[in-house]
Amino acid sequence: MVGCARRVPPFVSVSRGSSARPPDVDPRVGATWTEAPCPVLVVDRYGGLVRINGAARALLPDAECGDRLHERVPSWLWGAHQRMGEGPHDGSLGTATGRINGRFVEAHPTPVGEGEVVWWLIDETDRRLAETALSNARLRSEILSEVSSALLSTLNVPRCTEVAASMAAEHLAEAAVLVAPPQGRRHPLTYARRGGPVTQVTRQVDVSGVPGLAEALQGFPPVPARWIDPGAIPDWVIPDGFSGAVGSVIVTPLPGHGVPAGALILLRSSTEQVFTEGEEVFARLFAARAGAALSAARLYTEQATVTATLMQELLPPRLTGVHGVEYAGGYRAAKDHERVGGDFYDVHPGADPSQETLVVLGDVAGKGLDAAVLTGKIRNTLHALLPLAGNHQRVLDLLNGALLTSRHTRFATLVLASVRRRGGQVRLRLTSAGHLPPLITRADGTVEEVATQGTLVGALPTVKARTVETVLSPGETCLLYTDGITEARGGPLGDELFGEHRLRRAFGESAGIPAEAVVERVQMLVSGWLGTGRHDDMAAVAISAPATGALTLVGGHAEAGGHTGGPGSRRIT
Amino acid sequence: MTVARPSAAGLADRLWQAVVQGDERSAAGLLHDALADGTDEETLLLEVIAPVQEKVGVEWAADRITVAQEHAATAINERVVASLAHRRPGRPTGAPGRGRVTVSCVDGEWHAFPARLVAEVLTLHGWRVDFLGAQTPTPHLVAHLHHTGPDAVLLSGSIPTHLPTAHAAITACQAVGVPVLAGGRAFGPDGRYARTLRADRWAADARGAVSALDAGLGRPDASATRQQLDDLPHLADQEYTMVAQSRAQLVKQTLVDLENRFPALRSYSDFQRERTAEDIAHIVDFLATALYVDDAELFTSFLTWTADILGARHVPAHSLVASLDLLSGQLRDFPRAGKLLHEGVAALGEHSDRPVPGPDSHV
Amino acid sequence: MTSLSPAEFALSFFREPATLTVRVCGELDYDTSEDLVDAVVARLEEGPPPREVRLDFGALTWIDSSGLAALLMIHRRTDSAGAVLRLENRPGFLERLLHVTNVLEHLTAPASGGRG
Repeated sequence: MVGCARRVPPFVSVSRGSSARPPDVDPRVGATWTEAPCPVLVVDRYGGLVRINGAARALLPDAECGDRLHERVPSWLWGAHQRMGEGPHDGSLGTATGRINGRFVEAHPTPVGEGEVVWWLIDETDRRLAETALSNARLRSEILSEVSSALLSTLNVPRCTEVAASMAAEHLAEAAVLVAPPQGRRHPLTYARRGGPVTQVTRQVDVSGVPGLAEALQGFPPVPARWIDPGAIPDWVIPDGFSGAVGSVIVTPLPGHGVPAGALILLRSSTEQVFTEGEEVFARLFAARAGAALSAARLYTEQATVTATLMQELLPPRLTGVHGVEYAGGYRAAKDHERVGGDFYDVHPGADPSQETLVVLGDVAGKGLDAAVLTGKIRNTLHALLPLAGNHQRVLDLLNGALLTSRHTRFATLVLASVRRRGGQVRLRLTSAGHLPPLITRADGTVEEVATQGTLVGALPTVKARTVETVLSPGETCLLYTDGITEARGGPLGDELFGEHRLRRAFGESAGIPAEAVVERVQMLVSGWLGTGRHDDMAAVAISAPATGALTLVGGHAEAGGHTGGPGSRRIT
Repeated sequence: MTVARPSAAGLADRLWQAVVQGDERSAAGLLHDALADGTDEETLLLEVIAPVQEKVGVEWAADRITVAQEHAATAINERVVASLAHRRPGRPTGAPGRGRVTVSCVDGEWHAFPARLVAEVLTLHGWRVDFLGAQTPTPHLVAHLHHTGPDAVLLSGSIPTHLPTAHAAITACQAVGVPVLAGGRAFGPDGRYARTLRADRWAADARGAVSALDAGLGRPDASATRQQLDDLPHLADQEYTMVAQSRAQLVKQTLVDLENRFPALRSYSDFQRERTAEDIAHIVDFLATALYVDDAELFTSFLTWTADILGARHVPAHSLVASLDLLSGQLRDFPRAGKLLHEGVAALGEHSDRPVPGPDSHV
Repeated sequence: MTSLSPAEFALSFFREPATLTVRVCGELDYDTSEDLVDAVVARLEEGPPPREVRLDFGALTWIDSSGLAALLMIHRRTDSAGAVLRLENRPGFLERLLHVTNVLEHLTAPASGGRG
């Protein structure tokens, strides 16, 4: 309040007209102080009220000249006057502030000799109110900004609710209860107490028992706080640990995107000041932010759930051992933020060990969700064609017919593998329909390309394919893969294709390794090759005849695993 | 009762024999037997399987086992861990009221085994664990956090060159209000890079992670979003950006210069040439990462480790020093990079005076 | 400094009375294949159709499965317009793709539709 001193009226005011000087004017003090717009008191060294102007009479109606000052003014002003006689002082030193009859007053003393002091009383009430309002507004806008950042940082509904309730309790009330729209008959309720933990429960409660709550949940405007009888608040609203009786209540809707996101109940105990109208307005602003954030989180969750449900059908399955043969698959979508794409694989186990298991791996032209939807159609069709899997050509004819359309030529290439274990060996029938031929690692580390070849499916009126039969001995693996692997671009020089020769070399080192390690090694090498470069969908399936000593059907849960290395990355020179 | 129970070290020796021979049946058998004899699962995971997996890496580095053996051994260890977990569901899952956590590898990180062990141990301690596995793209991780709202993310990294990606993941998790506990070799022996990247906590191992979670991590202030430069102001000099972006050109030029300096390299096969190019690419990658975290030791420890790997394979390390020299020439305008390369040469000089680590390993 | 960016995708057209020649330059892939189909179809529809459509791949730097789907679509359109499709100056990677998918014979067969 240093700056206030500047507003002290000049001690010796310029006379406005000496002819009109009133009779009680003291020439030592100045000419026109009696007409000063602010209250002025002249007090002698003994504390007696010597003079008093019109404005001062309005402020202190009982005061008369000759009164003792301490009987007419609050002690803060009397104290200030006493201090005036104690030491050296200038205009600003003796300034005091305090309340007089409900007004907020700054008192500025001016000594005028012979121990008399003129007290200029400046009414600061309105300025104080304005300043408080401004600082409150600043604080509130800071709170709202903080609330928005915190709420918008999460798209998880329970977490967002927790943040909203705890911030409401911290900034708006002693306790807050966030009532979410019902799930069935029950409402998710979030309780927060200032300084206490946030608890979340889902309960069946009677929302009509709280005035305005049922309406708030339907999106009607809030009921004014003064209409709510705090005594009528049912027990379920009051959080554990809330001390004392409820003194005032605000119930405000959380406006969502078109539909209400719930309602917020704010509680103060009877020992605290009741909610003001300003606080009610602020609570509505807070509720608007919280409602928007909660709605966004709900919308995201719903979308994510829908996507996940639809995606479930399109995701590659997790593979494991079947009838004494090991299978492992690996998949990476072209766009890393997507989980599905144009590559696919499936393993359809034979009804019993004597029946063939059908393995399919394929690739449809295109990328992303469009391609993924077509893979879904192909996988479903093939599933339906399983009874015919004894004849690969027949399966491909029917699949081709099912996919053919005049609208586009989005084709698929795929490999069918029928697998059956006989003794220690695994018999394979392999047919490529326009797809890259499968590779086989033999026990001695040589890599063979399986000489099956055929027409892609879904674009031409007829398809031809040649089926090849072969046998895997223990420790040998057959690898089906898509061109995303061999066409991965990168390497130390940044622009080379991974290529078949690198795949063959890596695969050749895989003799005797479990199927999932084969797939993982291929994926790891290709990822390392790619670095951060762009790539197409990539898929690989390994079919292994278990090596002696292998424990089949153990690793039903084995996720894609990793390897140990030194402190650096893995490489061999 | 405890008389017949084999020691963890004894079990580890037998497990090592089994995995290095690719004998999954014996490996699983001896662990399941130990479990039946009363050895607790955490001991098996952390004092038997973990050291064996550690030894797999050491033995590969020393060129005493082949790549195929290394992969088979790792795969068997993973499957054995899975089989132990598979046996578990009938049991009640620990203390009630434990929270939910997400265990994930840094995007691009394939070494999921350490994270897998942490996930299993946390499960044993009653935590509800979502294990996202290797190579988790950061957007998937963040979507998962939105979906499940866990109490913490445990972020595992083994290879330091993924630290810039790890930083992005740490910031992203914190921005959605989920604290990050970093772990794994990538974050430095004392977790220094976890601090550099402003992870909420660091744990040296699975037990450290358990006690950190028990102590509670607290929610990061989600309203205070940070960007790279807030944590790492030195990135403003653009040296990291330049080196990372011109990786391919740096590798190509160094390869050409190397051939001019050592004409014998011209007779290399394509395969050998590619290995040389990969070595140079790794040097550039580690140089870029050292620039990112502004720490010379990240670079020098990679170089001395590489020198040991080369030494174990009887490949002379002089091309390493030459490559550093040639890179210095190309990066003349980059003072931080120049200093790192200089320190790299010095570290290799000191290192070559020391004996190569012997074959003793600690299982 | 070596440029890593691939050659820009570009098409050029040469029309003679009986022949439409399209020179395809750059990468024919997911991002560009629709351009090729649209451009060829537009030229087939303006005026009397040619007897022969020649796709010149001398400057093709890459093709993926979307690119092959585009060739199959172009074949449908040339076939129904009674024109023969010729795939000329095929680079090795295109040859390999046509071989693996077994469609070369189909794509270059005499036209079955149109004027016959």
